[in-house]
Amino acid sequence: MTGYALAPAPVVGDGTTARSRARSRWRRWRGPVVGLVVVVFVALLAALPAPRTSNLPLAPDSTAATGARAAAQILEGQGVDITFVRHLADVQAADGPDTTLLLAGDANLWDEDQIAALGELEADLALVDAGSAAAQLAAISYAPSQDPAGGASTDGSAVAGVAARCDDPDAVAAGSVTASGRLQAVPPAVVCFRGPDEDPTQGAYAVTTVAGQRIAVLASAGPLTNAQIDEAGNAALVLRMLGRHPHLVWYLPAPFDTAGAPTGPGVGDLVPPVVGVLALQLLLVVLVAAVWRGRRLGRLVTEPMPVVVPSAEATRGRGRLYRRSRSYGHAAAALRAGTATRCARRLGLAGSAPAPQLIDAVALATGRSTHDVAALLYGPPPTDDSALARLARDLDDIESEVHRS
Amino acid sequence: MALTWRAVVLAALGIPAVLVVPVTGTVLLWAVVVVAVCVLDAALAASPRQVAVARTVPSSVRLGEPATSEVTVTNVSSRRLRAVLRDAWPPSSGAVAPRHRVDLPPGDGRRLRTTLVPTRRGDAHADRVTIRSLGPLGIAARQASLEVPARLRVLPEFASRRHLPSRLARLRELDGRAAVQVRGAGTEFDSLREYVIGDDVRSIDWRASARRADVVVRTWRPERDRRLLVVLDTGRTSAVRVLDAPRIDASIEAALLLAALATRAGDRVELLAYDRRVRARVAGTGGPRLMPALADALSTAQPELIETDWAGVVAQVRQRLSQRALVVLLTALDPAAVEQGLLPVVGQLTDRHQVVLASVADPELAALSRQRSTAAEVFDAAAAERVGLERAAVAVRLRQRGVEVVEALPAELAPRLADTYLALKAAGRL
Repeated sequence: MTGYALAPAPVVGDGTTARSRARSRWRRWRGPVVGLVVVVFVALLAALPAPRTSNLPLAPDSTAATGARAAAQILEGQGVDITFVRHLADVQAADGPDTTLLLAGDANLWDEDQIAALGELEADLALVDAGSAAAQLAAISYAPSQDPAGGASTDGSAVAGVAARCDDPDAVAAGSVTASGRLQAVPPAVVCFRGPDEDPTQGAYAVTTVAGQRIAVLASAGPLTNAQIDEAGNAALVLRMLGRHPHLVWYLPAPFDTAGAPTGPGVGDLVPPVVGVLALQLLLVVLVAAVWRGRRLGRLVTEPMPVVVPSAEATRGRGRLYRRSRSYGHAAAALRAGTATRCARRLGLAGSAPAPQLIDAVALATGRSTHDVAALLYGPPPTDDSALARLARDLDDIESEVHRS
Repeated sequence: MALTWRAVVLAALGIPAVLVVPVTGTVLLWAVVVVAVCVLDAALAASPRQVAVARTVPSSVRLGEPATSEVTVTNVSSRRLRAVLRDAWPPSSGAVAPRHRVDLPPGDGRRLRTTLVPTRRGDAHADRVTIRSLGPLGIAARQASLEVPARLRVLPEFASRRHLPSRLARLRELDGRAAVQVRGAGTEFDSLREYVIGDDVRSIDWRASARRADVVVRTWRPERDRRLLVVLDTGRTSAVRVLDAPRIDASIEAALLLAALATRAGDRVELLAYDRRVRARVAGTGGPRLMPALADALSTAQPELIETDWAGVVAQVRQRLSQRALVVLLTALDPAAVEQGLLPVVGQLTDRHQVVLASVADPELAALSRQRSTAAEVFDAAAAERVGLERAAVAVRLRQRGVEVVEALPAELAPRLADTYLALKAAGRL
């Protein structure tokens, strides 16, 4: 509506140089950059040195009393290459000559096919705490009288110092072991560590050869555990049993290790190898698109917003106050006063007209009895919600009747 | 540094390459290529800091009317400038299409116009001008935001000016009706004219009739050159939103219409916006310069969340006015605020001046007092009824002290106040 102001002097540049921009950028980003570096450093520190440990029973990385890290470390120290696997497919992959397969517990092996697959391996077998596998593969059964479940018996009930009393060189070298479990085998299986007054077919350790595969069975897991490996000749027996070959596959079946062998190609095998690289390239495209869309053309402009004060706020607050304190008297008085004022104005009375005069005038205008009108306009206050609502409606009625006339 | 869609296309062009040689190295190589091309393109772009930018805006514009922000860009670098430029304004300035493409050879300049349709009264300060200078390939760009100060003053809408012609007509009637109107205070002798049937015989000027063959009557007109002071209350009650606009907006409309009418009627108008200190003042301006000055002063008047100091208002009025005048208080008829603030001191105003209080009524109050559906609503209705009664009582007390009270809905306040002014003028009470 008015003329243009005098043209101001043009602005060139934003007063920064490449150096000052670089400095301000560094100042802005150094905090996040230093934080990121620290996070990466800490992550590396956490990831690098600590060997993996677990709490699984009979696992070669478990330092618990029921674990077998001690045995595993001694074996590694003697030059045995240990491969720790949890799945049968991995066992089959790691199979080969000069290999011992340790089956540490068969509680998670549900399928006879899985156990049969172990029998088809090239490797020698060492079965610890694996009753059903021993029964199926080597016809060596766990004696029900002492350890019916065939579970790991690593408690303190182990019989100390049971002598070998057989001619297996490993057992003879061990001399005596602490063993709680008992197993039963018939020749040609060699049974060792039987009690002094026991049947010669019962013992804690048995060795047999089935179809060229040497199968050593240890009735209880006790000698292998960290807790008992240093007792009697446990260490010697375990090390000789597991260290016969330079390779040891330590198989601790995982729960739900169902697949004996892969039944078909997985999703990953069906996808052509180009897809992964393509996804990487698409990631690059997405990154570039993000930078494209992410950079604003100048900052957001803010609007100083006014304070919003709703108009009837105080009135509503007053209404709530009436309601909370159940001031039916106050509320009714306000409604009656409002109606009385409007009726008086309508009927040409002064606002200060006395009550009887107003009552008479209203009664005359509406045709109601003076008693009703007086009760409505000057009656006792209501005592509950419904009475108040009824009063309000009645006042509306009388007001409309006055206005109609 | 910024990228364009072309950079995305460049990155996507690596997909066939990956299909031919599906190894991770291809992706890495392509990423390096994309980065290198972007950096090179940005490096070859003209510097956005080697651009002279000047911004020109009109000094003021009325609310709701379009204004043009003109940005003059001159390429002072030695490279060709291909850029996208953004003329940034706050949202309420209503900038239409603030982005512009420019293609300038070295040394060349151009004017870019952005239409602004402001939606809020007050000063709108322009934000930065952002220049994104694209490289020769249009893949990457360099970007800089320059501080180019500019201010657009958005004046009040003055929507109530549509009521002005009818009120001016009434004003003229008032002047011509002089012979019918009895002489009295606030009127002055205008002229002599021939008697026509219907004229008051008491206004026959016998002395003049004796000198001529006809019967002559004296005509009177309302006194001119009366003083009028409009006090705009910018305290907390003016911030209250009635029908989605603060009370102060309706008050400003009323003030503008009243001032326009009064200045045509020959009265001198002053304005004071006050809460605890003077927020705006227009005094000593008359004639055609008054309305622009008023609009300018009122454009930046904003409600403050503080209680109005009415004693201070009275002191200001006494300081400004030495003779009898019409004092118009544009405030709210808020029972508590009036009782505490205005009522104790209003006597000091009314004993010397004619005082009019104009207040924006709240339609929500009436709606609230009519609802009956739930118990809570009946309580609200009772509260609204009570507030209404208190307002009426306070209005009565103000009238008893000689204050004219005008209460109307926001859209009707300006014409009602103008009517009140005309009535006072006709009655010679100014």
